[in-house]
Amino acid sequence: MSERAPPRQTDGIDAEISDATGSAAGSDFEGEGLVVGYGDEPVIDGESVAVPAGEVTALVGPNGSGKSTLLKALADQLSPDDGTVRVDGREIHDMGSKELARKVGLLSQENVAPGSLTVEDLVAHGRYPHRGTFESVNEDDIAAVDRAVSLAGIEHLRDVEVGSLSGGQKQLAWIAMALAQETDVLLLDEPTTFLDLHHQLEVMEIVEALRDESDTTVVLVLHDISQAARHADHVLALQDGEILARGPPEEVVTEELLREVFRVEATVNYCMNGPRIVPQSAHHDDE
Amino acid sequence: MTPARRGYVVEEDPQSRWSLPAVTATIAGEAFRTMASGSQHGVEMSVREGRFDWVDRSLALVVVASTALVVAGGVVQVSFGIYSMTVVEAWRAVFAREVILNPNAWQAFAFGTELPEMSTDSVIAWNMRLPRVLVAVIVGSALAISGAIFQAVTRNELASPFVLGVSSGAGFAVLLTLVMFSSLAAYLPLFAAIGGAGAFLVVYAIAWKGGTSPVRLVLAGVIVNMVFHSLQMGVFFFVDDVGVAKQAIAWTTGSLTGTDWEEVRLAGPWAALSVILAFGGARQLNVLLLGEETASSLGMPVERVRFALSGVAILAASAAIAVAGIVSFVGLIVPHVVRTLVGSDYRRLIVGCAFAGPALTVTADVGARLALGSVQMPVGIVTGLIGGPYFLYLMRSQEKLGEI
Repeated sequence: MSERAPPRQTDGIDAEISDATGSAAGSDFEGEGLVVGYGDEPVIDGESVAVPAGEVTALVGPNGSGKSTLLKALADQLSPDDGTVRVDGREIHDMGSKELARKVGLLSQENVAPGSLTVEDLVAHGRYPHRGTFESVNEDDIAAVDRAVSLAGIEHLRDVEVGSLSGGQKQLAWIAMALAQETDVLLLDEPTTFLDLHHQLEVMEIVEALRDESDTTVVLVLHDISQAARHADHVLALQDGEILARGPPEEVVTEELLREVFRVEATVNYCMNGPRIVPQSAHHDDE
Repeated sequence: MTPARRGYVVEEDPQSRWSLPAVTATIAGEAFRTMASGSQHGVEMSVREGRFDWVDRSLALVVVASTALVVAGGVVQVSFGIYSMTVVEAWRAVFAREVILNPNAWQAFAFGTELPEMSTDSVIAWNMRLPRVLVAVIVGSALAISGAIFQAVTRNELASPFVLGVSSGAGFAVLLTLVMFSSLAAYLPLFAAIGGAGAFLVVYAIAWKGGTSPVRLVLAGVIVNMVFHSLQMGVFFFVDDVGVAKQAIAWTTGSLTGTDWEEVRLAGPWAALSVILAFGGARQLNVLLLGEETASSLGMPVERVRFALSGVAILAASAAIAVAGIVSFVGLIVPHVVRTLVGSDYRRLIVGCAFAGPALTVTADVGARLALGSVQMPVGIVTGLIGGPYFLYLMRSQEKLGEI
């Protein structure tokens, strides 16, 4: 823990420019006193989350710790039994469904699309909240689709049918759809799980580009703790629906936390090349 | 296929212009606009090309082939029968000046006023055989559209008005009206719609559990189907008139025997309306196919949209059931065939179904009417005989059947 991760690529000049253009540095996004669950027993019982604007926040925790549930509540896809979620100070529950979808985007963990749909058509569906019921595609939609496709790096797949894509390409296409939604806040549920290393990195690079270039506030559930430590500005660690730790990765992703939350012995080093987490052994239930 | 040819094909197709004026107009208008704007856009600008880049070769093929089948079936239906004409005679009878240039005749067809003087050939062709073809067109369109919508709403290829209980609910209502309240027969589509909607609501209520899943919806449909089937059988118990019983049996199997302009007037407007509404809802249907979660996070009020679209599907099915009874398999098979040909984009699928549905019902009705010589079968038996084996073949040849 002695060595700190190097400062991120955004050097002074870039930071100044984005501050000067004053794009409000992303949207404020917070959940307060959230009680969420699927049945009688709430999964999340009274937690508050304040997501820093224009930064990347990762939710980590073992299986069943309530990460996805929290994310769905933040996206208003699960109505909380209690508590409120606000974006830029407005309660999302009071917003119209399309209005909310122009502010907050959510990409679910598993997505299905008809196999004969082309990538471009899939991405164009991301414009749904920007179009009236019988409105046709306009210049803004086309520009947004172009931007999303180029940011996701899938220009070469535009006319390919979704059914013939690999798992990684499919995920990039779905991310492009969420990008075309052009929201200030983007929530991603395990966007890298099941992807090969190359596509995992592609996804994380898109996330970082979003933060750096368009000040999007990103919240993502990550399964891979070292990925969270490497790419996120903030980490929230959940266990049994409780947020146990929050803060920058160097403070949250520690050997103690891995022991307590993930029940593994591991060594954690923050060196010049970023954090290094080496798992040693798993704790067993009977211990 | 060039835009010009696209427009030509649709414009030159009299059969479809009768049954689907709106869709025809839409496509024709689109073709015109595409023509006007020229085709200077590059391939990479396919989104840019505007609202109608979705009309492609496969759809044009489906539309042309279906129309050809409908026309061929129509020619056979008009020419042959107990009163026989040659094809030329039939043609003359159909295009007789005394009919097609006579506003009184059109008034009679459209509003049921008294039929003006015309030759026997023309009476047979125009007043008995053509309307039957038209009813087959209407029924085929409506059932296919209904099935297509239900398949998107449930995201299940096995869904159809029949599977979801709509057919049996509507059929029960129709049967009840015929047997118990025969004086209200003029309002059959209305009762059919009420029965269909009622059955669907029951299915929805059973399947609802903080949202609906496709599987639960279909299972609930099967249960409700069985209940309504029993109720239908129960109604038969109260029939003392043999004529009514025969009529009732024709209803439950689906028959076009004896249909005339009255049935066209009864079901046509509703079928046309539901085709227009379905086409208008195509984008919603497309987004629904991405799954409930995605649709909802894109800002769609999913349950409301599903409900509204289901309403359109019920309307379409009820219009068909009110005039033809329960014609099985059309709502299941046609969307499936069309989907394999034009893909899952509902703009194409809806238009394709509106044309392919009639192709199936008109051809099936040729068989139902003429295959056994003097005896006419209910068309539902023929569609069942075609549809059943086709579906078996699908189940054997496709590994993944069910989810769209």
